[in-house]
Amino acid sequence: MFNRITRIFVVIGMLGLILNFSPLSSLAGEKVHLTFDHYYDHAELTQALKALQQAYPQMMKVISLGKSYQGRDIWGVILNNPKTGPAEHKPGYYMDGNIHGNEIQGTEVVLYTIWYLLKNYGETELATRLLDEKAFYFIPTMNPDSRDWYIHKAADPNMPRSGLIPYDNDRDGVADEDGPEDLNGDGSITLMRKRDPNGNMKPHPDDPRILIPVRPGEKGEYILLGLEGIDNDGDGLVNEDGPGGYDMNRNYGFNWQPDYVQRGAGDYPFCFPETKATRDFLLAHPNIIGAQNFHNYGGMILRGPGAKNMGEPPLADRRVYDEIGRKGEKILPGYRYIVVYKDLYPVYGGSIDFIYNVLGAYTFSNELDMDYYGTLRELLGPASPQRGEKTPEDEELQRWRRYQRMLEEMFYHDHVLMGEQYTDWQPYKHPLYGDIEIGGVKKFGRRVSPLFKLAETCHRNAAFCLYHADQLPRLEFDGVKVTRMGGDMYQIDVALRNTRVTPTISAVALQKKLHRVDKFKIEGPQVKLLMAGQITDRLRQRVRPIDPQGKNFIWVKSGIPGYTRTEFRFLVKGKGKIKLIYDSLKGGYYTQTVDLK
Amino acid sequence: MSARTKIFFYGTIVLFMIFSLCQPGLADVLEKAYHSPKQVNQQLKTWAKQYPQLVRLHTIGKSSGGCELLVLEIARRDSRLPSPGERPAVFIGGNPEGTHLVATEAALVLAEKILSRATKDEFTKKFLTTHTVYLAPLLNPDAAQRYFARVKVESMTNARPIDDDLDELVDEDGPEDLNKDGFITQMRVKDPEGTWIPDPKEPRLLRRADPKKGEKGIYKVYTEGVDNDGDGRYNEDPPGGVIVCQNFPHDFDYNNHQTGLWPVSEPETIALLKFLTSHKNIGFMLNFSSENTILNMKQTGRAQAGSDKVRVPRRFATFLGLDPEKEYTLKELVNILKGMNIGGGMEIDESMIAMMLGLGPAMDLDRQDRAYLEKIQEEYKEVLKKASLKYPEKRAQGVMKGSLTAYAYFQYGVPVLAVDVWQVPEPEKKKKETAETLTVEKLKKMSSEDFLALGEEKIAAFLKEQGAPPNFKAATVMEMVKSGRLTPARMAEFMAKMPRKTGGKDGDHPQAYLLEWSDKKLKGQGFVNWQPFDHPTLGKVEIGGFVPFVRTAPPVEEIKKAVDVHTDFFLDMLKKLPTLEIAEVKVKPLADQLYKVEIYLTNRGWWPTSTAQGRRARTAWPIRVELKLSAEQKVFSGRRVTTVPYIEGSGAVKKVEWTIIGKKGSRLEIVAWTPRLGKVKKSIVLSK
Repeated sequence: MFNRITRIFVVIGMLGLILNFSPLSSLAGEKVHLTFDHYYDHAELTQALKALQQAYPQMMKVISLGKSYQGRDIWGVILNNPKTGPAEHKPGYYMDGNIHGNEIQGTEVVLYTIWYLLKNYGETELATRLLDEKAFYFIPTMNPDSRDWYIHKAADPNMPRSGLIPYDNDRDGVADEDGPEDLNGDGSITLMRKRDPNGNMKPHPDDPRILIPVRPGEKGEYILLGLEGIDNDGDGLVNEDGPGGYDMNRNYGFNWQPDYVQRGAGDYPFCFPETKATRDFLLAHPNIIGAQNFHNYGGMILRGPGAKNMGEPPLADRRVYDEIGRKGEKILPGYRYIVVYKDLYPVYGGSIDFIYNVLGAYTFSNELDMDYYGTLRELLGPASPQRGEKTPEDEELQRWRRYQRMLEEMFYHDHVLMGEQYTDWQPYKHPLYGDIEIGGVKKFGRRVSPLFKLAETCHRNAAFCLYHADQLPRLEFDGVKVTRMGGDMYQIDVALRNTRVTPTISAVALQKKLHRVDKFKIEGPQVKLLMAGQITDRLRQRVRPIDPQGKNFIWVKSGIPGYTRTEFRFLVKGKGKIKLIYDSLKGGYYTQTVDLK
Repeated sequence: MSARTKIFFYGTIVLFMIFSLCQPGLADVLEKAYHSPKQVNQQLKTWAKQYPQLVRLHTIGKSSGGCELLVLEIARRDSRLPSPGERPAVFIGGNPEGTHLVATEAALVLAEKILSRATKDEFTKKFLTTHTVYLAPLLNPDAAQRYFARVKVESMTNARPIDDDLDELVDEDGPEDLNKDGFITQMRVKDPEGTWIPDPKEPRLLRRADPKKGEKGIYKVYTEGVDNDGDGRYNEDPPGGVIVCQNFPHDFDYNNHQTGLWPVSEPETIALLKFLTSHKNIGFMLNFSSENTILNMKQTGRAQAGSDKVRVPRRFATFLGLDPEKEYTLKELVNILKGMNIGGGMEIDESMIAMMLGLGPAMDLDRQDRAYLEKIQEEYKEVLKKASLKYPEKRAQGVMKGSLTAYAYFQYGVPVLAVDVWQVPEPEKKKKETAETLTVEKLKKMSSEDFLALGEEKIAAFLKEQGAPPNFKAATVMEMVKSGRLTPARMAEFMAKMPRKTGGKDGDHPQAYLLEWSDKKLKGQGFVNWQPFDHPTLGKVEIGGFVPFVRTAPPVEEIKKAVDVHTDFFLDMLKKLPTLEIAEVKVKPLADQLYKVEIYLTNRGWWPTSTAQGRRARTAWPIRVELKLSAEQKVFSGRRVTTVPYIEGSGAVKKVEWTIIGKKGSRLEIVAWTPRLGKVKKSIVLSK
């Protein structure tokens, strides 16, 4: 009844229908549309996560890890493909962002990573393999209270870094009573300056908006009064007791030091709800073996130790860090792979050291973004003053370099950001200081990604993290040989190969006995493990015995190191099909069926 | 009476007697037995009911094993007085080890003394109107509970289930009371790889074989029990837990998981620290624990720099114009920087310098604080001597890593005294100490001539007794004294700081004193004699060893006197607390509407208003002095709000002055406050 033309139309129509619903095009794969030229406040983040979870209910779990000080949910996200196994059977990778309230772009990077993995599942080999073989754990924002303050209220690029629990910084018996104010109503906390013929600052000859210090003996024109604000409590000091006053990335329980040694550490480790919730999330997932904490800024890929007294990590672990870190420098051009205590400053009680030294997971901390100006950057050298003896010529060169940078920065504000993030000096009548001027760089003008750069920061850092995730342990059974020894006794030679740089047990975990070691199990009806060993030298038939102590498994004490093939020999009694299971806490769970005959 | 009635009648009497014995006595809390954790809490609740005008109970948390953690608050409640949370307070802690049961009893007795004297004794009456006492007699109830269990196990861990041997099974291999004597003791097995031998002098005790002496080991030693999980190790994953008394954040041991995976990980420590940090009025701590820090001031760690002298790193030295080779005290550096006017009016203190120089945490007692603690030590020794307590001073223990007392001094920043109250006394010395016998005490006051006159033999014997290293010969010492390079007083100083030699005479087993005491005082009940037993896997073993808690929970009769003496001593310590008072206010007219106002603040206590370490740790706040002006007044010179870092004790005075512009007859108020000493204020009128 269908003539030829109708048949052709039907076929084309069917094809069209099929194509519409097939996941072949990447646009059709993106079920949730998110943009990364935008900073998500907590409500928007919540909405985005919920949308993703609804679109990918099998793969994604969103849970509240607890409430922040002001009662916002601290969201935890778990990505896992249940069809390839439960999350705890897979090596875990963890990411968090925004522990410091003003360092907001880490959240977007985490959100991007979640979104990227989900929308590329089934599209790219990497995303598919990663979601099938690894378990992912995310805390997009660890400090939602300060995040919302930073986004919506007057802030400056450096604050609020702390959480918002009131803290009596000036020890007057009242907490948080004297913070900065947005006197000129430009939405940011900028700077105050006052004309003063005896001041120690003068305007830069090429750009009067820039203040530079005078030389000894030179007459100045201004004094810098500090951040915008008034003396709220009449104690003669301005802005000495603002919101919060602690640093949550000094509150972790490894090499924790009290406030007088490490400013901001809090009264004791994990005394803040946010760090406690994060810790509990990490502890609940002991399969985590790779981690990332996002901060800003400076373009760095950091690893611990945070303080000299901790000592360097064992050599084997350093090699893992070096391989991944150096690759990172290629994925993130301009970023430097460096060590916290040596190349940055001492950090006691930081997350990076806790996750590595207590949980045995390789942790990097990326300082996102850098100054996106100064094409002469290499010529100009680093902005921070050199240490050591300086000649007068050195000092002049230092000055010149510093001022060049300031000019570059102003050029950037004028012609790249086109004035969006800079308030020029305007007069103001201050209750304490009298006639002053207020102006300066606004809160999004430094440290955070400018919106036009945000997507790149997200993608490149996500790419680095997914590269790290792909370097987590990945074992495969590499050859099984069964030899019948008589009766129903069999010798099984089986090898496991770790094709990645990360060992199944980190050297620090071995050294400090941080968690259980790997298990190699035999499972099957009526099967009995008689004896076992590791073949250390196949040519000379040397086997190191491992006593199963009457059980059907052995402890593999050193795990399977990175890029290593380890051979085992089992002597079992049984028949038929049995299973060999390599069960590593952080290295994954691998099964091989063997036929005893 | 019929049989049934008889049973009823006598039964009731027996029950009544049992009941009355169990009831915590009001007049004498220290009765015949130690208080179980339940009974401790019961007693605190009883006191709260009995003294509603004085006592409140704070529930600060629950131990891992579910026991309520209570803090007793004693303060006279009256609407005319500042609330107890605003008065300077003393915190008295007891038994963070859990096993040191004597400490809990002493804390309870101290509470009882305070409560009973609250209406009778003048000092106590006044004290409870100006101060608050917080008392927590049992900081580790889970460990204490094991004394009251059917089988006694001595362990300082709480009850939190922990997979100690990382085999995925939790608490699966604990000790067993194989010989059913109600104690977990030890097992010794003859084993070719054994390293232990019976002590030649006291064969019940074991010591390690010394191959240098030609000794070969005989035994392996285990805790009593079986290998429940078949892993070849015995009792390596017992029920529990974390050692609470080493879970505090100063000098925390990150390498010993038994003290916690991180500082303040346990519900017991969290509860206590939450309480301490939220009660900022606590300015003094007295602890009953296994430590005696009054006698033993040794600390656990070594400072990066010396306790008070530091070298300024080159990069800062050149910037500040200082000599990078010279050593300065933190105080000197503060003064130098203040003189340079660096920081523009910002308060520069020792803590800031330490942080700037990257000095890390303080690990030694500050020299200033140590001087005060040494004075207390003198007094304490006098008290011990007068009471003839026979306390073995050389066995006094210093703080352990992660200790509460160390946290209190170094981080919480308060003066803290810890006493262990009672120790097994020294066995009677066979050789009586004569007037001629040389002691470290005598050495302090001796002249060089008298010392040399003792002769080489006596000096050699003395050096040997004090445990001096063998190359420290008498002849060498005498040479040094003769040439003037060494004085007897200096030598006494060295010897006081030397590691204490435990164990009495030469070659005695370090625990011989304990066995001797058990034999004499406990009729041998403190030690289970080695008896054979057939062990399921180890074969023929012998079970024996010291009874759990033998050192820390002697018969109650033994401790009564020591408890009495130590609680009285702590009550005396309360008389030394610092105060913040206004000694005088002066107003001097300088011109029309211009006045000089001076306030003299004083501390009439003995301790300074804060310790040097408290200031360095920034947990001891300076004294904030504030002028509350009326509308037409203005400060001409001086800051309206200013701080005084601290005031020495015994009536030392600090002056704060201002020049005020104001009308004659106008009022103003001066308020001086610091959380640990409370508030004082004075209202004045500007006039002649």
